[in-house]
Amino acid sequence: MTAALIGFAIVLILVLMRLPIVFAMGVVGTLGFAYERGGSILDARGLKAAMSMVGRQITDTAQDYGLSVVPLFILMGLFVNKGGMARELYAVSNAFLGHMRGGIAMATVAACGGFSAICGSSLATAATMSKVAMPQMRRYGYSDELSTASIAAGGTLGILIPPSVILVIYGLLTETSIGKLFMAGIIPGLLGIFFYLFAVRWTVWRNPSAGPAGERANWTERLRALGSVWAVLLLFFLVIGGLYGAFDFEPLNLTFSPTEAAGMGAAGAFLIALFRGGLTVESTFEVLKETCFTASALFAVLIGAQIFSNFINLAGLPEALIAMVTAYDVSPFVVILMILGIYIILGCVFESLSMLLLTVPIFFPLVTSLGYDPIWFGILVVVVTEISLITPPVGLNVFILKGVVGDVSTGTIFRGVTPFWIADIFRLALIVLVPIVVLYLPQQMGALGH
Amino acid sequence: MSPLIQLLRRASVVPVVVASIALFVLMMMTFCDVILRSAFNAPIEAATELTRILMAVLVFSVLPIISTTNGHIAVDLTDGLFNRLHLSRVRDLIIHLVCGGMLYWPVQRVWILAERARDYGDVTEYLSIPTYLIGWFITLSLAVTAVVMIATGVLRFFAPHILSEPAQ
Repeated sequence: MTAALIGFAIVLILVLMRLPIVFAMGVVGTLGFAYERGGSILDARGLKAAMSMVGRQITDTAQDYGLSVVPLFILMGLFVNKGGMARELYAVSNAFLGHMRGGIAMATVAACGGFSAICGSSLATAATMSKVAMPQMRRYGYSDELSTASIAAGGTLGILIPPSVILVIYGLLTETSIGKLFMAGIIPGLLGIFFYLFAVRWTVWRNPSAGPAGERANWTERLRALGSVWAVLLLFFLVIGGLYGAFDFEPLNLTFSPTEAAGMGAAGAFLIALFRGGLTVESTFEVLKETCFTASALFAVLIGAQIFSNFINLAGLPEALIAMVTAYDVSPFVVILMILGIYIILGCVFESLSMLLLTVPIFFPLVTSLGYDPIWFGILVVVVTEISLITPPVGLNVFILKGVVGDVSTGTIFRGVTPFWIADIFRLALIVLVPIVVLYLPQQMGALGH
Repeated sequence: MSPLIQLLRRASVVPVVVASIALFVLMMMTFCDVILRSAFNAPIEAATELTRILMAVLVFSVLPIISTTNGHIAVDLTDGLFNRLHLSRVRDLIIHLVCGGMLYWPVQRVWILAERARDYGDVTEYLSIPTYLIGWFITLSLAVTAVVMIATGVLRFFAPHILSEPAQ
């Protein structure tokens, strides 16, 4: 137990020294494993055992069939994005919402939700959408608070709405069904959009000049805007529907495994981009290249996380935590609250993925031993890490936005973000207190016979 | 020295192309597999093992490149602090040397695993591809990563002008 805590502290220090996470977790995991096996980090027998574990993790992880969803979903996102999806989504939401008070900020939230459904990275969503939405909101005289906050907060929506790379990684770390995790993310993700829309309404209700109404688009314009995104929306429903088992009837009998869904999604996005004329050989190569780089870095980090997690488990940290909780007779609910508190604090330093990799191996056994559902916990972790991205004083999304927009102070953005943050806390409370919000869809999926 | 760097830079396109082709094949194969299975009830039987191999190829082909271009996932929270203390360059040198150096042990280990698979004559289920080939490939990738990380670290510290991008 002590060894595991020391190891964890060393990883934190190394990571803060900017050592890539894979190396930090890898070296501490290996030496820690050797220590647990041989009684010293330099014990020959212990090191030998540790190295065979490492060798196996490296060769097995890269050849894990289930992991092939990672590059394929990233590829799908990049192909879709290649066609100027961010701009088009924004145009659609604007056509439908722009005429209301605060409507352009609401459109921003909706477009962020839609874009991140495909993109899967909060920071990238915030960076992309700020370029599209910020000029528009400025033109209509929206306050800096509301316009930056709607982008910073909207960016956090992405990683819940499938396909989500971070949920894939949670699924692999904990051996939880990726298909069910995806289904579980849908309702909380949509709730996130609705709660944020309320936050915008609340802001303009308090201060009507923060978000004046834009022009009303007529139905011809609305349908035209919709026409540019229908193919991608269809692809999205095909992929998610196939995963859910919605096409599992005669004569189709089509149900996708996560890998198949990802492959269909990527190939479909490629074909859409091809037919719309947005692809050249060079741009296709660029997309493939970027995907390979991202996937390679993700795999590396996963290998590191697994080495570290092997050490943590061997050192008995999860068991020690469980024993402690039992000995002090802490109620399971209090344990969850404490874990959520730790995430909010860690979120000051780490972005979602790093946080997930570091903490899930420790908390997951504890939470499941208390009788909580692994899928529910996955969604909870993702929601809380996203909240930390807009939590003062160091929410990363806010700083990304400050970097892109430039002439707005972080104080202003944090002020604007407050109603969104409160909306998030309500959503978190709802997920904690009413788990069926998360579990309904995955349970239905089970009922269909998967 | 400079022409050598130029040559290496040019050569680094090769693994990227290999990885991209692997990814494209993976995408098309999965797509065709689903279509063939659902429409003609004739799945590609070797799809699973090919998926595994293609993944290893795409991940490890570009590993040396992301390792030397800050492609790894890291936390840059303390960058400002290091810059103020003028320690960024020393820190980068140490990180490159340590990371490259510590790869020595995984390289050795993966090599042993590959050789063992070769002794046993392990092959894949459908296509009978010898599995040690993948092991060799991973070993090679890790070894190249170790060497280029150390070289990049040293060059960036002692002779940054050699690595500076030629003016476009």
